[in-house]
Amino acid sequence: MSIAHTQPLTMTPPEMLRDVHFDGEMEKKISALLRRYPTKQAALLPVLWLCQERWGWLPASVLQAVAKRLELSPAFVEGVTTFYTMYNTQPTGKYLVQVCTTLSCQLCGASGLTAHLKERLGIDSGETTPDGRFTLLGVQCLGACGEGPVVQINNDYYTNVTVEMLDQILDELPE
Amino acid sequence: MEPILLRAEHETNSKALTTSLKLGGYSALKKALIMNPEDIREEVKKSGLRGRGGAGFPTGVKWGFVPQDLPKPKYLICNADESEPGTFKDRKLIHTDPHMLIEGIIISSYAINAHTAYIYIRGEFYEEVQILEQAIAEAYKKHYLGKNILKTGYDLDVYVHRGAGAYICGEETALMESIEGKRGQPRLKPPFPAVVGLFGCPTVINNVETLACVPHIIERGADWFASIGRPRNTGPKLFCVSGHVNRPGVYELPLSVTYREIIEKHCGGVRDGKKLKGFIPGGSSAPVLPASAIDIKADFDSVAEAGSMFGSGALIVLDETTDMVWLLENLLTFYTHESCGQCTPCREGGNWALEIVRRIRRGYGRPEDLETLERISQFASRGMTLCPLGDAFCGPITGVLTHFRGEFEQAIAKAKPLPKKKLPALPVRSGRGTFGM
Amino acid sequence: MVSVTIDGHEIQVPEGTNVLEAAKKAGITIPHYCYHPALSVVGQCRVCMVEIDGAPKLATACSTQVRDGMNISTNSERATEARQAVLEFLLANHPLDCPVCDQAGECYLQDYAFDFGLDTTHMVEEKRTYPERERRMLGPHVIQNQNRCIHCTRCIRFTREISETHDLTMKARGNHQYIDTFNGEPYDNPWSACAADVCPVGALTVKEFRFRARVWRLEETRSICPGCSIGCNIMIGHRNGVVYRFMPRENAEINGWWMCDHGRFLAEDLNARDIDRPLIRSGGQLAPATWSDALEELARIIGAGTDARVIASANLSNEALYLAKKLFAEKLGLKMLVPVETGPGRSIKNAHKEWIRSEDPHPNATGARLIGLNVGDASRLQDFLITSSGPVVILDAGAHPLLASQDIIQAIKNQPIVAMANAHTPMTRAADLVFPVASWLEAEGTYTSSTGRVQLAERGAHPSDEAKAAWDILTLMARALGADPGPVTRPQQIFEELAAEVPAFAGMTYRRLSNEPGVPVLEEVAHVG
Repeated sequence: MSIAHTQPLTMTPPEMLRDVHFDGEMEKKISALLRRYPTKQAALLPVLWLCQERWGWLPASVLQAVAKRLELSPAFVEGVTTFYTMYNTQPTGKYLVQVCTTLSCQLCGASGLTAHLKERLGIDSGETTPDGRFTLLGVQCLGACGEGPVVQINNDYYTNVTVEMLDQILDELPE
Repeated sequence: MEPILLRAEHETNSKALTTSLKLGGYSALKKALIMNPEDIREEVKKSGLRGRGGAGFPTGVKWGFVPQDLPKPKYLICNADESEPGTFKDRKLIHTDPHMLIEGIIISSYAINAHTAYIYIRGEFYEEVQILEQAIAEAYKKHYLGKNILKTGYDLDVYVHRGAGAYICGEETALMESIEGKRGQPRLKPPFPAVVGLFGCPTVINNVETLACVPHIIERGADWFASIGRPRNTGPKLFCVSGHVNRPGVYELPLSVTYREIIEKHCGGVRDGKKLKGFIPGGSSAPVLPASAIDIKADFDSVAEAGSMFGSGALIVLDETTDMVWLLENLLTFYTHESCGQCTPCREGGNWALEIVRRIRRGYGRPEDLETLERISQFASRGMTLCPLGDAFCGPITGVLTHFRGEFEQAIAKAKPLPKKKLPALPVRSGRGTFGM
Repeated sequence: MVSVTIDGHEIQVPEGTNVLEAAKKAGITIPHYCYHPALSVVGQCRVCMVEIDGAPKLATACSTQVRDGMNISTNSERATEARQAVLEFLLANHPLDCPVCDQAGECYLQDYAFDFGLDTTHMVEEKRTYPERERRMLGPHVIQNQNRCIHCTRCIRFTREISETHDLTMKARGNHQYIDTFNGEPYDNPWSACAADVCPVGALTVKEFRFRARVWRLEETRSICPGCSIGCNIMIGHRNGVVYRFMPRENAEINGWWMCDHGRFLAEDLNARDIDRPLIRSGGQLAPATWSDALEELARIIGAGTDARVIASANLSNEALYLAKKLFAEKLGLKMLVPVETGPGRSIKNAHKEWIRSEDPHPNATGARLIGLNVGDASRLQDFLITSSGPVVILDAGAHPLLASQDIIQAIKNQPIVAMANAHTPMTRAADLVFPVASWLEAEGTYTSSTGRVQLAERGAHPSDEAKAAWDILTLMARALGADPGPVTRPQQIFEELAAEVPAFAGMTYRRLSNEPGVPVLEEVAHVG
């Protein structure tokens, strides 16, 4: 039975993001978000999410475009972006493999998973495999402690993960 | 106890509106919307419901702080940031019965005269965002949300606001900053959110579980709610059990059940037949308690008397193999990683404490280290920091040094002397990943 | 007004005052880093902890407003220990590189650690460092050493709340957070160096001043910025006649706590002096001369009945302009002009968060107008010069850019030219007689800002070599030209006369000007400038 249910991320290459503008579809989504809040600034987190979904990551050119659209300073936008850990200011691999390293998951063997991943992928936390397929990241509590160890790949949670499961998941993930 | 918050747990398709309606969902809403908002506030106050997010503040009292005569809009925020390690009940509730939460949000918004509510949910909960969006769309369709709800003239919009990876955004003022599009840094208080909150307007922030309790209080009455548990510690509670137990998970039990009952009866005891060494009773910021505390009652007041904190009701069970120096390093790593960095004792003290523990664990402890750790925890808590994150990282220090000091002393007794020049390099900790465990 | 007791002293302060300011009023220093009177209160550094009777927890003095009857202790055991602990936290990761840090002497971390901190630390861990940000140009004027930063965010708030340029931000978070600009672009705005002023430690320092002088060896002189007509209050840091820096000096009504980079970096110009004695043209060359020879030469050039024209400068003090008018226009009946130009717009924010703007680059054009001098633009200056064949007296050769133009010099080079200057310009090189004038630091005088405030710039050093203050030179000129102004020994005397004669200055005295930080407003001239 297949257990992997994650689709790969697509990273837009930096050379295609030199001059960023929002097309009609993005603009429509942004306008809808703006209607949710009394200030433009409040739409910053959701608009950053939109951009990350669209382009895979958030280079300075995207932040600049967001700042302009929301009438904020680019420095402010970058300050906010870098405060939160889930906005990627660098491209990641197609699969961002995040292993919870906090207490409950560790009590249930998460460190075995990290060790296995490091060995299997040949990379350390924060690194991406040379083929651009995997980025490995040790992360803090994912809020699913009762089902530890937890591994989040892109948007999806995998719970009660064992080394065998992890191998199966990595094998099954689509190109 | 009959399941209340988790009544849909075993339903197939429990997230659907049809399932919710079948189980009595939205009947409290119909009742509430013909009540006077003030009477709802009074009923919730009478029920004794205390906030389930961690602080345990009486919900009805909190609602009462909202000035009703200010000509500003009022906001309700549902705190679904669920970020305290050991806590995973809100995620469970959203998966099990999102409509119960939405019903609670509508009634609570009505009670404080809010016409906009935001659900702030942690960024990692992508699936849960989809569940909530879906449920909200269903509720709009059925006129439980939007203009003129159920033809009562009451309007309410609910929006999901997704965080992006920051524990501190569970703190209510940091959460508001985050909705406003800023770095999630807690605000100075006063002013308090009830008066100057989101967008400078009166705001109530309640936890997911707190809000989920509200429809039941309206439906079945404050007296019924207060009859569960014991005085001042009333109602059903979702206990999150993780760590070294046979059956971890979310359990709905009355407040004031004992930890022994939770661990031994409901969770099937300590894993692999090991002995209990201790447990963290209220999320990882609560000071650890030794195994001997197993017979205390799991409620706000009993745990406080035992020198710890009931918090969000998250119980982390530790068996006899648990290395307490390791445990402290693990938790300090978390809190240091999650410190917003704005105030000095937390930013500097947390990291300092972590570095000391890392050194002790690597065999370079010094006898005076424990005193320094105590000094740090004394001056990074109890109002020394801008927000409770200071207390949150000091709790674990106090807990282990009170009950498991011997382990630290042993590690220090075996330690090598500090090298004169430079400590051997410890694994690098970067801003993001932390694999140095 | 409410009444509070701080460390046993009872004082009255206005309602809404914070505890920190109230204590200041009682003469008690409560250490603080993130708090700055001009910036929003953030309560982040936690060093201003005080104990308040009846409050279970310590409170930050910056964010706590006084209440009537409040009893505050800044030196109780609890408050003292808390402060020591916070200072220890702040120093835990601080590099303690004071011997090589240019902030030493005006570093609040050093000062407060000395006054309020412990003399030891319990910290033995490796300190946090920011390898790529230890010494780098944050912008054209500001150097960043992030290792020293105490994360008080004053610089960020300066760019958000004062300059409104929003160019600095905190990046990342927690223990690893750091100050940066968007995408690491240069930090450059018209007030950029103020970010280093508000930095309480050596994390941001000013390139132009760095390592040039230890601050405790500098003398400080209260002055006015010569950069434009706004009249920002400054402190000139100097030693042995050498000027090292301008720093903004607090004036709520004009420049708040700020000054622009343009004005600040004029400081170095004060050292650019190459005229240190009178010069007389002889045999085609300018040659050094004595004062008496020079004055004799002046009398020869401006003989009775010549059609001499006098150009006074809008950069001169009220005193010099008044004397010049009295001597040349009134006594000798010569034509005078004060040429002015339109400069690039300058602006500064005062303590009420109001912008003050000016396109007038002269510190005293308003004074010249009030004194009744003929003020005109470049075309007036051109007409003024080329329609005469008599001698030309230029009081301050740098008064107007046109005075350096070859066309003008060619047009008048056959006429006798008398100039007053302290550095050579094309005009002084063409002149027949040059008087060495004291620098901005070396002469006392008053200036009238474009907002109509008369302000006193004090003297910090004696004129070097043979140079003399403009008022002094004008007094000597008057005597040489047979128009004895009486015994004038100090500019103060001239100002007294000016105040008595020119209505706009009525009632003003040096004493008032130096005692009142908010300088008197001239209601009558609100429309001028």
